[in-house]
Amino acid sequence: MSDNLQLWLLFVAVGLGTFLIRLSFIQFHGSAEALIARSKHVLTLLPPAILAALCIPAIVFTRPLTAYQPDYFQWIAALIAILIARFSRSVFWPVAGGMICLWLLRYLTS
Amino acid sequence: MKDDRKQFWLGVRDLLPLMSGVLPFGLITGATGMSLGMDPGMVVGMTALFFAGSAQLAAYSLIQDNAPFIIIVATTMVINLRFAIYSASFAPILGPLPKRYRFSLAYILSDQVYGLCSMPVQMAKNRSERIWYLAGVALALYVTWMISVILGIVLGAGIPAHWSLEFTIPLAFLAMLVTTITSRLLLMVAVISGCCAIAFQLLPFNSGFIVAVVAGVLGGWLLPGWLKMRGTHE
Repeated sequence: MSDNLQLWLLFVAVGLGTFLIRLSFIQFHGSAEALIARSKHVLTLLPPAILAALCIPAIVFTRPLTAYQPDYFQWIAALIAILIARFSRSVFWPVAGGMICLWLLRYLTS
Repeated sequence: MKDDRKQFWLGVRDLLPLMSGVLPFGLITGATGMSLGMDPGMVVGMTALFFAGSAQLAAYSLIQDNAPFIIIVATTMVINLRFAIYSASFAPILGPLPKRYRFSLAYILSDQVYGLCSMPVQMAKNRSERIWYLAGVALALYVTWMISVILGIVLGAGIPAHWSLEFTIPLAFLAMLVTTITSRLLLMVAVISGCCAIAFQLLPFNSGFIVAVVAGVLGGWLLPGWLKMRGTHE
C-alpha cells in the first residue's frame, strides 16, 4: 500500500514537472527570447542523446542488466527496425518488424 | 467564429493520419503498465498526469529497476525537456491568452502538435486561426492517446510473458531515434550517448543514463568546434 502511495507521489511530481516545462516559455512570453535563442542549439542535441541512452543498453543486453548478457537476436531485430525506420515515418512499422524478426529467430532456434 | 470552428476541425482532420502511430504506442504504454503489476486506475492516472508517452515508458523501466524517486523524476524531466522547445515556439500565440486557456493548452502540447502546427502553411495563418487549429490537433491527440492507453490496459492482461512485449519499448525509442537523426552531428551525439550508456550502465541509481545524455550533448556541442580548429591548423 505504501508502495502504491509512493508511486502516486512520483506520478504527481512528474506530472507537475512536465506541465511546468510545457508552460515555461508560454508563461514567461516576452522576457525569455534571448535565452531561447541561446539554448536552441543545445536543445536540438537533446533528443538523439536521450533516445540513444534509453534504448541502446536495453537492446544490447537482456535483463537483468547486471548479468551483462548480450542478446544477438535482439541486435538483429534492432537492425531490422533501423532499416524499416529509415523508410517509414511512423513508429509502428519498425516496432512491428523488429518484434516479428525476434519471434521468428526464437521460434527457429527453439 | 465560424472560421475559428473550421480551423479547429481542420486540426482534428490533420491529426487523423497520425493516429496509426499514436495507437500502438498507447497500446504498448497501457499494456506495459499492467505487466508491471499496477492496477488499471493507477495506469490511467499516471497517463493523465504524465501525458508524455516516452517519459512514461522510461519511468516504467526505472520503476522496474527499483531506481530511487529522485532519479526517476530527473530522468523523466530530461526526456520532457523537448517540451520547452515547443513551449518557446508557441509562446507568441499562446502567451497572451487568459490563464485557463493558457494552462490547458500548455498541458496538452505534444510532439505531434508541434510537428503539425510548425509547418509553413500553418505559420502563415493569423493568430486566432493558429490557436484554434492548435486546439483541434492537441485535443484530438489527447483523446486518441487516452483511449489507446485504456485499450492497452484492457488487452494487456491477456498477453503472455514469453512474447517479450517489453522489447517493443527500446524498439520504439530506436525508431524515434532514427527519425531524429537528420545530420552527421546528431548521429555523433547518438553514438556518444549510446556508448556511454553501455559503459556506465552499472553506475548506482541508474545515474549512468544522465551521464550518457550529458556526454552526448557536450560532445555534440564541443566537438564540431574542436574538429574545425584542428582542421585549420593542419
